[in-house]
Amino acid sequence: MLKAFSPASHGLHINSTGLLAGLVILFWVVVAIAGPAFAPYAPGDIVDFDFYGPMSAKLWLGSDYLGRDIFSRILLGARYTVGISFAAVTIACFTGVILGMTAAALGGWFDRILSRLMDALLSIPSKLFGLVMVAAIGSSIPVLIGLLAVIYAPGSYRFARALAVNCNTMDYIAVARARGERTPYIILDEIFPNIIGPVLADFGLRFVFIVLLLSGLSFLGLGVQPPNADWGSLVKENIGGLPFAAPAVIAPCLAIASLTISVNLLIDNLPIKIRDRG
Amino acid sequence: MSKYDITNWTSADDAQVEEAIRRGASRRDVLRLFLAGGASLAAGSSVFTRATAALAASPVKGGHFKAAGWSSSTSDTLDPAKASLSTDYVRCCALYNRLTFLADGGKLQMELAEAVDSSDAKTWTVKLKSGVTFHDGKTLTADDVVYSLKRHLDKETGSKVNSVAKQMEEIKAIDLLTVQITLEAPNADLPTILAMHHFMIVQDGTIDFSKGIGTGAFKLENFEPGVRSLMNRNENYFKPGGPNVDSFEYFAISDEIARVNAVISGDIHVGASVKPQSMRLLESQTGVDLVKSTSGNYTNLNMRKDMAPGEKADFIEGVKYLLNRELIQKSVMRGLAEIANDQPISPSNAYHNKDLKPRDFDPEKAKHHFEKAGLLGQSIPVVASEAANASVEMATLLQQAGSDIGMNFDVQRVPSDGYWSNYWLKAPVHFGNINPRPTPDILFSLLYAATAPWNESRYESEKFDTMLLEARGELDFEKRKAIYDEMQVMISEEAGTAIPVYLSNVDAKQSKVKGLEPNPLGGQMGYAMAEYVWIEA
Amino acid sequence: MSGQIPLLVVSRLGVTFLTLLIVSFVVFGATLLLPGDVVEILLGQAATPEAVAGLREAMHLDSPALVRYGQWLFGLLQGDLGVSYANNMPVADMVAGRLANTLRLAAATTIIAVPIALLLGITTAMYRGSLYDRVITTIVVSIVSVPEFLIATLAVLVFAVWLRWLPALSFTTDLSSFGQLLKAFAMPVITLSFVIAAQMIRMTRAAMIDALNMSYVEMAILKGASKTRVVLRHALPNSIGPIANAIALSLSYLLGGVIIVETIFNYPGVAKLMVDSVATRDLPLIQSCAMIFCVGFLTLTTVADIIAIVSNPRLRT
Repeated sequence: MLKAFSPASHGLHINSTGLLAGLVILFWVVVAIAGPAFAPYAPGDIVDFDFYGPMSAKLWLGSDYLGRDIFSRILLGARYTVGISFAAVTIACFTGVILGMTAAALGGWFDRILSRLMDALLSIPSKLFGLVMVAAIGSSIPVLIGLLAVIYAPGSYRFARALAVNCNTMDYIAVARARGERTPYIILDEIFPNIIGPVLADFGLRFVFIVLLLSGLSFLGLGVQPPNADWGSLVKENIGGLPFAAPAVIAPCLAIASLTISVNLLIDNLPIKIRDRG
Repeated sequence: MSKYDITNWTSADDAQVEEAIRRGASRRDVLRLFLAGGASLAAGSSVFTRATAALAASPVKGGHFKAAGWSSSTSDTLDPAKASLSTDYVRCCALYNRLTFLADGGKLQMELAEAVDSSDAKTWTVKLKSGVTFHDGKTLTADDVVYSLKRHLDKETGSKVNSVAKQMEEIKAIDLLTVQITLEAPNADLPTILAMHHFMIVQDGTIDFSKGIGTGAFKLENFEPGVRSLMNRNENYFKPGGPNVDSFEYFAISDEIARVNAVISGDIHVGASVKPQSMRLLESQTGVDLVKSTSGNYTNLNMRKDMAPGEKADFIEGVKYLLNRELIQKSVMRGLAEIANDQPISPSNAYHNKDLKPRDFDPEKAKHHFEKAGLLGQSIPVVASEAANASVEMATLLQQAGSDIGMNFDVQRVPSDGYWSNYWLKAPVHFGNINPRPTPDILFSLLYAATAPWNESRYESEKFDTMLLEARGELDFEKRKAIYDEMQVMISEEAGTAIPVYLSNVDAKQSKVKGLEPNPLGGQMGYAMAEYVWIEA
Repeated sequence: MSGQIPLLVVSRLGVTFLTLLIVSFVVFGATLLLPGDVVEILLGQAATPEAVAGLREAMHLDSPALVRYGQWLFGLLQGDLGVSYANNMPVADMVAGRLANTLRLAAATTIIAVPIALLLGITTAMYRGSLYDRVITTIVVSIVSVPEFLIATLAVLVFAVWLRWLPALSFTTDLSSFGQLLKAFAMPVITLSFVIAAQMIRMTRAAMIDALNMSYVEMAILKGASKTRVVLRHALPNSIGPIANAIALSLSYLLGGVIIVETIFNYPGVAKLMVDSVATRDLPLIQSCAMIFCVGFLTLTTVADIIAIVSNPRLRT
């Protein structure tokens, strides 16, 4: 069946996949907010003299490489992974998309200069960026979010601009210009609705990348400080449990996957009215 | 009857002992022989172990030996004075030789030197072996030794052991094969100091070290800093038998899991320094085994006594009681550590003070001390980093223990990048990591004397400094040990350095690799394994 | 119209030069901000003030950083990348072999990943909402959600440790036959393909769906044009600009972003070189690596822009 070829069905109806994805995201948001209250142990507490221990009644998801409770560590890590990633990806995509559309609509020097600046930013290695940040500003969660946004905004800009440039050549934009519409209107009312699909898909992937990059940055000393850890770091510090299929490495992986897949599935299954131009 | 009584031990003597064992001499016979000769029990014992091990398996010649360390970078160097990463040490050990060599059990052997003697511990005569040649064919003479040692005094060399070398006031050639070293003050440890890796002997006048021309067991074939090195057997090696393997390839796999996997899959013969958590996997594999050595490496928590909060002695005392040494040993190190008593001389050293007991984990006592210092409830930043082995885990344990008694330690994990120049010695409360040094004198002079370059906690004691000088010139082992014993107590009680455990090093190897033994100077047989290992078919 | 592409290339060359200069200057500033210099890093724990001063003089690093940077820049204009502070070797020699390694791995990954990504991206867009689409989408997002180091480590465990089919390390002395080369490259290429394909598939799909929703494409469908024809003749040309951009972004990752793969498979490429150079504050080497990444990146994006213009007739005016 060629569903894509049938005329788009309108309405705010969300399908079951989207609903399920939404519920999973909601679940993790609740965990991020209320999780610490339910954690059976402190995140730094060694409760098992064994390491990479199995799931048990005492330790629901087993123990990590030091014998700490993985269940508690995931509950406490949720707020870092969910919070930081959502904040960073929203800032990055918002900035990137707005600037990308503006550059496409205005063209000329504004476009050229901004595009080259973004290219320059993209080609500076992020590790160097990270180290400089720590050295110059110090380490904190807002710095971490800012850094992630700076790393991911240029890519978002480039993609949004490419979409918007294509869109800009369409007849209805020309019609709007001929009507005498102003640039902000053209950007928001004519271009944006027409590129929102790919932009949202881009948002979903960037979210995944940020979740994963977090673990790399906390090893640079950025942001999340021990005994707390984001999920990516939990996977990284327990990677030695992989040969034994230890829950310490599998559980945080599943947490990451359930969150990131849900975000992307929700985006894919958003009601047509929101997703595509209405 | 001091430690260096057996400095004149040579391979010929080894052969004699081996011969005695072959004839049926028991361990006790050999020990009796040694005690009669005036050597220490430990020394005799280690000679026996070595000789039996050598007999148990005779080396096989040939093969390509491939091993991996854990760190490597574009700054990799073949200049022994600048060697900084373990990778550098391993390569230098294969290409060059030292005057003396420290074997298992702290036993000193002669390498390029025939003998190192002194009557007053101030003026030393180094007699060189004759007929030793460099890779380019030149014969080793006293001039090479003078050049190699004097380099360390020149600031432009950038030597890592400048502070140790400084005591050599005069270094001169007496004849073709004799060097005389005059120290600024008597130091009975000189033969041991010369066994440090940085004191490798290079050729007179060498400036470019990229060719790696030494007297060592291997000749350099190819060297790419940060990538790998390839060496071939030196057919003219001065030690009888020479190295066992035909060629030696060395590089670093910085990812520990990848290093372990490469050993198991058979891609490399030896993977250096595996984490305690990897032991379970390695032990479950056939054809792979482990070599453990405890060499006195440690990670310590430094509290500077010249600033808050370390200026209050009670804070330091409290932290020492709050470090759960047993938990660090069991959970963080998985047993690959020995509990330490807040001083730097490990049990592998003959001068270790056994009577100095480690503090028990006692949160109540700790709380009492923090209260006395007026610091209970305050937030104390503790700087840790991956750069100092296991420090992040130790900091986490301290934080957890602190939160149970109302003490708030704020763990700050900082990048490994630049840790030693930015945080170490600088932050008020921070972790350090000290590599093994062969003698108490070196450790004390580097770390605890008032003028020590790495006085981690700014410890100052006139009495300590006087005792340090006194012990240095003392030739009698027992008298010397008595002084060192007291100095260890002083450090444990007064200095701001909490040393919870001495870390062990574990190297993973394929079982068919033989001859890799523990060594007091570190893992990979004190980094000198290439010359000694062989690969069974 | 036909003169537009050469004009673009020429103007881009000029802009590229300017961008390189900006990047170089930013990187220089960033390096200055980092604590410690090459001498302190090399001496490590032995960095006493006298030792630092002595070695700095011996290494001729006592002139101000800005002066040294100026000298390096001047040398670069004459095609000289300078000499590494850390080991006194010409930077060009150090970079050459490792750049070749990186390009080899990148090329192999591109050949595998890009066609697969395009195929999957276009077909999932054509059959949007079908079971095929949902299965592929879920698999793709699942794969990209797994940390790169986990994929690489798992691959080593399965293929090198348990099955013993492939070597655990990719850079070995015995690469004599094509078969061995294939074996050595298999795992890094698979890992990298997993990492970059997801983005390309998702972006291709999204851009295609958008194009398929355009009114003139719907017109073509109503007119009864064949499915393949609609996709290839009407929708694809319109979405190729964004697709090319997404591919360019993904491929640029293969230059500087493959540090994890280089580390786990012990493959000496430029990403590890850059990390090393930052760690030792080796200014000429940092600068040279940054220039390489920048040139590579700008080349990719310029090609993407050209493809976009060529494919969309409306952009050619």
